Amino acid sequence: MAIRVNPQLIDELARYGAEDVHKCYHCGNCSAVCPHSEEPFVLPRKVMRHLQMGLERKLESALDPWLCYYCGQCTEECPREAEPGETMMSLRRWLTSRYDFTGISRLFYRSWAAELTAITIVALATGIGLYAWGSTHGDITVYDGPDAFLQSSAIHVFDWTMAGVLTLLLAVNAARMWYFTVGRQGIAVPLGTYLKQAWLLPVHFVTQLRYARCGKKGPWAIHLGLMLSYVTMFVLIMFFLHEMQAGPEIRWQVHAFGYAASIGLVGTIGYALHGRLRRTHTLYRHSHESDWIFLLLLAAVVVTGIAQHVLHRAGLPLHANVAYLVHLMGVVPMLLVEVPFSKWSHLAYRPLAIYLAALQRDALTVPAGARAAARGAA
Amino acid sequence: MERRIGVYVCNCGTNIAKVVDCDALEQFAAALPGVTVAKSYRYMCSNPGQEMIAADIKEHGLDRVVVSACSPRMHERTFRGALRNAGLNPYLLEMANIREQCSWVHHERLPATEKAKALTLAAVRRVAHHEPLDPMTAEMCPTTLILGGGIAGLTAALEIADSGYPVYLVEKAARLGGNLARVDLTAPHLDSARLLLDERLRRVAGHDLIEVLLGTRLERLEGFIGNFSATVTTGQGATAESRRLSVGSVIVCTGYREFDASRITHYGYGKLPNVVTSFELEKMLRRGRVEMKSGKTPRNVAIIHCVGSRSPEFHGYCSRVCCMTALKYAQEIKAALPGTAVSDLYIDMHAFGKGAEEFYRKGSEVKTLFLMYDKNDRPVIRAAEPGDGCDMLIEVNETLSGEVIEIPADLVVLMVGMEAREDAAEVARLVNISQDREGWFIESHPKLDPVATTTEGIFIAGTCAAPKDIPDTVAQARAAAARILGKIAKGRLEIDAVYAEVSDDRCSGCRVCNELCPYSAIEYDADRRRSHVISAVCKACGACVAACPSAAIQGRHATDTQIMAQIAGLMT
Repeated sequence: MAIRVNPQLIDELARYGAEDVHKCYHCGNCSAVCPHSEEPFVLPRKVMRHLQMGLERKLESALDPWLCYYCGQCTEECPREAEPGETMMSLRRWLTSRYDFTGISRLFYRSWAAELTAITIVALATGIGLYAWGSTHGDITVYDGPDAFLQSSAIHVFDWTMAGVLTLLLAVNAARMWYFTVGRQGIAVPLGTYLKQAWLLPVHFVTQLRYARCGKKGPWAIHLGLMLSYVTMFVLIMFFLHEMQAGPEIRWQVHAFGYAASIGLVGTIGYALHGRLRRTHTLYRHSHESDWIFLLLLAAVVVTGIAQHVLHRAGLPLHANVAYLVHLMGVVPMLLVEVPFSKWSHLAYRPLAIYLAALQRDALTVPAGARAAARGAA
Repeated sequence: MERRIGVYVCNCGTNIAKVVDCDALEQFAAALPGVTVAKSYRYMCSNPGQEMIAADIKEHGLDRVVVSACSPRMHERTFRGALRNAGLNPYLLEMANIREQCSWVHHERLPATEKAKALTLAAVRRVAHHEPLDPMTAEMCPTTLILGGGIAGLTAALEIADSGYPVYLVEKAARLGGNLARVDLTAPHLDSARLLLDERLRRVAGHDLIEVLLGTRLERLEGFIGNFSATVTTGQGATAESRRLSVGSVIVCTGYREFDASRITHYGYGKLPNVVTSFELEKMLRRGRVEMKSGKTPRNVAIIHCVGSRSPEFHGYCSRVCCMTALKYAQEIKAALPGTAVSDLYIDMHAFGKGAEEFYRKGSEVKTLFLMYDKNDRPVIRAAEPGDGCDMLIEVNETLSGEVIEIPADLVVLMVGMEAREDAAEVARLVNISQDREGWFIESHPKLDPVATTTEGIFIAGTCAAPKDIPDTVAQARAAAARILGKIAKGRLEIDAVYAEVSDDRCSGCRVCNELCPYSAIEYDADRRRSHVISAVCKACGACVAACPSAAIQGRHATDTQIMAQIAGLMT
């Protein structure tokens, strides 16, 4: 059965940043230089072709974009300036919007104004709500203790509730990703394979080892630094919020980690902001609005987070509380908007894609394995 | 018959000397009866080599010369010149080819040297019978007849007339401009075809030295280079009027016709209303409206390349201009209808020449969807169902993705290739030139002599010889004009002294030779019942000499005596 070409899809993808994919004439230089290109994932040419032709279902079921880390070699080698690297990036944005069943992601990626409005509304709601709640349950001039403006025990409950909602949303999206790439494709994966390959998920989440296979190690180290700092901070907040907030003395057993994570975050965010502003690397040459929103929001959260900590230790509880409120006005929209619907979600999709790719590959090579087993039995 | 023959053995650097023992050959030749002097030299064709021959002719009073060297195709002219310079008739030379026919094809020194000796001996025996011959000259009529009033004919006519010589521009149709007049813009610079033509048409119409004969066909062409007599007929039926024109040269630039797309049934041309040929799209573009039969604006346009070209069933060749024309359509359609998607189905994108690769790039920059198919697996077009949201669906096995796909289309443009005109065989017969398997006129040499033909005085230019684009066509037209102007500038034609002659006494008038002559150089005089050779047209191939049942035809410079002596020499 012939697949229907959709000549309009390429225009749709242009809104996600793939503005030059039509220039590609399939010389294959990109796939020749790509360190990750190997059957059946011929990066990036294969999906670029499917995109040019508008083969929507093929693209939905593609894991290829997640296996690319945008080292930029393909873009540098492209004789047509078709921006294969940026095309892969745009496809990741588009896939994110496809995995998201609510349609919110699609809205955000296609309209930065919508994303910014949503962030502003959530931020204001958070600010007003927490201020009202904090004022009735405590005193804005008190930072910790029983009269604290925003008590860590309450925030802790608030954090975990939000984490539950986000996990649910992400889980649904991840299930849809599985459905597009494996379920709907009719790829029969035995249960054993799901279990056998499960180790890939934590390993690739933590190490991002595939990224290291790109030609230069620098971008991998920076990205890993950012991610590990972020995760460290996340663990500290989710499990040690009380110890983190108590003061004014410094509790080195938790704060040492906090400082290390802060330094990591400031350094890597600074590096990325500088890179995007100055376009220092191929990877930073094109910045979609969603890239800026993600980075700036993260920067705001980190700066206010550090500020409330410093102000508290400096004996300025009122100032610390204001900084804390502003910090939360950044954190909540960042989590509510970015995690399930925007750039942040790639933290989940990347390791999942590596896992699903292994399932696909295993399923496709089963006959060979069965043959070997049969030979062994004989 | 005592001759004084000089034999000159060329070493050709090491080309000959590395296989043939040139000193032994020299000594062998020196001892032959009739040979006065024999010499071996490193490069006989060099100035010192030629001067040596000239000096020997004077010093030893040589009356015949043999040069054992390369092929006469290479240096016969050179050595004839050397003889002429020394005051000897150039036809008293014979060359023995001991390079191409000996040293280059043999490895063993001894047998190769023996063969070289045999070839040299054959030449010595033959040259003894050579006679001095004198080239003839003939008048060169400075008027040119140009067949075809397309861009090639117009260009050539202006080139010749601007140089001050008269031209008859004969066009079969009722108007000038040819196929170019059917085109809107041209690739790759998007110049208007109308502008390209207009200036030429205006100048041709007002030129004192160009007589344009519209609605006119060539009926007969007699004579030879410099002295043709052409009969042309204007009009048809009762009003037809014939004229005889005296011309010195003819340029054939009768152009091409487009491939009939209805011959490819699965494209549905003629059945599906919205499948059109490239020329029909040109018409729409010139009118300024690209639309479907119903008058609606097409949302999806598909362009299919190589219609009739690069196919074993129809034409194996590439028509050369369609790829760039298709890219032009993509850009013109996108400019006129920005919301319309354009797909371009090609086999290979042939974007050669100046500006073409950049043009291809522009084609993709306007978001043309390029789809590649295999030439043995062509697209199939079918009418769409009501729910499909388009007029037609094109199914094709797309080779870059390996997917079998369906392309929605409201308008399909078939890039019809070029083919030889239906009257090409007739024209070829009239002016006595040949056609290749596909019907294109054959040039004298595809690389080194692309506008001349095997008939002297008849030139070809443009797409009657092979598919080509406008720059190549214009270049050929100007090349043909230059060739003719060169001949006119010389004033008189020099005709080679080597040709066949019919002995009136022996000719029985059987006319066997008439049909045999590949150059139509033999005329039959019905009154005298004798055939005779037009020496200016004869190429001295010898076919008539061998075929004549009365042995009435003698090849000058290839007489029976000469050939028998040569064979005898070879067999000794």
